[in-house]
Amino acid sequence: MLIDADGVTVRLGNELAIDRVSLCLHAGEFIGLIGPNGAGKTTLLRTLLGLVAPTAGRIRREKATYDYIPQRANMYNGITPLSVLEVVRLGSRGAEQPAREALDRVHMEAFAHRRFNELSGGQQQRVAIAKALAARTDVLMLDEPTTGIDEPSQAEFYAILQSLQRQGITIIMVSHEVESVLKLVTRVICLNRTILYDGPPEHFETDKYLPQMYTAQHRQLHHHHADPAGAPHA
Amino acid sequence: MPELFSYDFMVRALVAGLLVAVAVPLMGSFLVARRYSLIADSLAHVSLAGVGAGLLLGAAPVIVAIPVTAIGALLLEWLRQNRRLSGEVGLAILMSGGLALAVVFANLAKGSNADFTSYLFGSITTTTRADVVTLAVAAALAVGVIAMNYRALLHIAYDEDSARIAGYPVTFLNYLLAALAAVMVVLSLRIVGGLLISALLVIPVVIASQLAGSFLKTILWAIAVAMVAVVGGLVLAFYAGIAAGGAIVLTAITLLIATMIWKR
Repeated sequence: MLIDADGVTVRLGNELAIDRVSLCLHAGEFIGLIGPNGAGKTTLLRTLLGLVAPTAGRIRREKATYDYIPQRANMYNGITPLSVLEVVRLGSRGAEQPAREALDRVHMEAFAHRRFNELSGGQQQRVAIAKALAARTDVLMLDEPTTGIDEPSQAEFYAILQSLQRQGITIIMVSHEVESVLKLVTRVICLNRTILYDGPPEHFETDKYLPQMYTAQHRQLHHHHADPAGAPHA
Repeated sequence: MPELFSYDFMVRALVAGLLVAVAVPLMGSFLVARRYSLIADSLAHVSLAGVGAGLLLGAAPVIVAIPVTAIGALLLEWLRQNRRLSGEVGLAILMSGGLALAVVFANLAKGSNADFTSYLFGSITTTTRADVVTLAVAAALAVGVIAMNYRALLHIAYDEDSARIAGYPVTFLNYLLAALAAVMVVLSLRIVGGLLISALLVIPVVIASQLAGSFLKTILWAIAVAMVAVVGGLVLAFYAGIAAGGAIVLTAITLLIATMIWKR
């Protein structure tokens, strides 16, 4: 077991962000963490990583290499992907070869010398993941990595995550793309301050746990189909 | 031998300037990477308050300025880490507060206006042997601390959360870097002056980041650029008879413009 959280409560100021959450994270899992906006998903990740101290409850973390990739890794703006990797690989001689290999694993080798802020959102996420790989990260926590990324890039991104999982990397991903997540992950956790659902994706009933989110998506879908003058199909 | 070197004060100025040119851009590389370029400016203004207090008390200005500036730096870092104020706002407040105190103190300590001006704009040619020795010790300390914690500082500069997760003593290192920056700022006061120090912290790093691909090369380039600016500025000041601090900063800005045109 990598992380064991028991009855974790987090208050941020006066607000109860997470309420008595208990969960275990096992090696090799690919967890989709879903829930409405303001449900405490990001806070939960940060608490599991020790960046936020729980108000109550306890967290036990196995010794392993963890990394957290925020939604926008804009702190790397202005430097090249190779330099982003330098952040974790420096000190070792011949550091460029493993750095290039890490970029290759996320299909970003061709962009090694571009400036980070010239890359698309999805490419930036992939560079951040490469940084984690170069640091030999065992557990990768991603915070809405596919927000604002077009669909073909999303598919490529998910394929990369799946291949990382097959290579033994444990992943927790916060996402709003519920339908894609359900096809991808080995376990779904639905959070709204407390855990509403924690189990295999096959048994997750979207309309039961996320009625609002589901109807919103459904309506959007419906709207697209009903619009005869809609955008041409790509 | 050029005429320049026949004057002891110019040799001391060159040595002192080169020491500043190593230590200040070295720290600047980390501060600029974490979007904290203005810290030197704020600390310089706080250090001027320390200088003013020193002049008022009749104590050695630098001796008073070091603890005052260090406290300012630690306070700033505390505000930032506890998110009481955004970094930017904290810097602005500290900057104006520092200068306000400096003006009041300097005003109260009547008769030492010329002295105070030398801290505002630098007075590198009045550098003493003791100044050079102090500066050398401080520069060695800065280089040593940064070299020993290079990897951690680099990680923190770009991604503090990730550095914390990786287990680095982030809070401690942040305070350490802030304190080091405070000491270097105070010791550089007489070289380039409180109002110009931030130029030497930022401009060489900006030039270097246009030239270098990696962070380590950025540091090395920044130091090289700062050395060229210091030597160029001093030579210019010597032969043209202009203020050394200003000449150094203007040389650095000229190098920046040249780099930007060349890299276009």
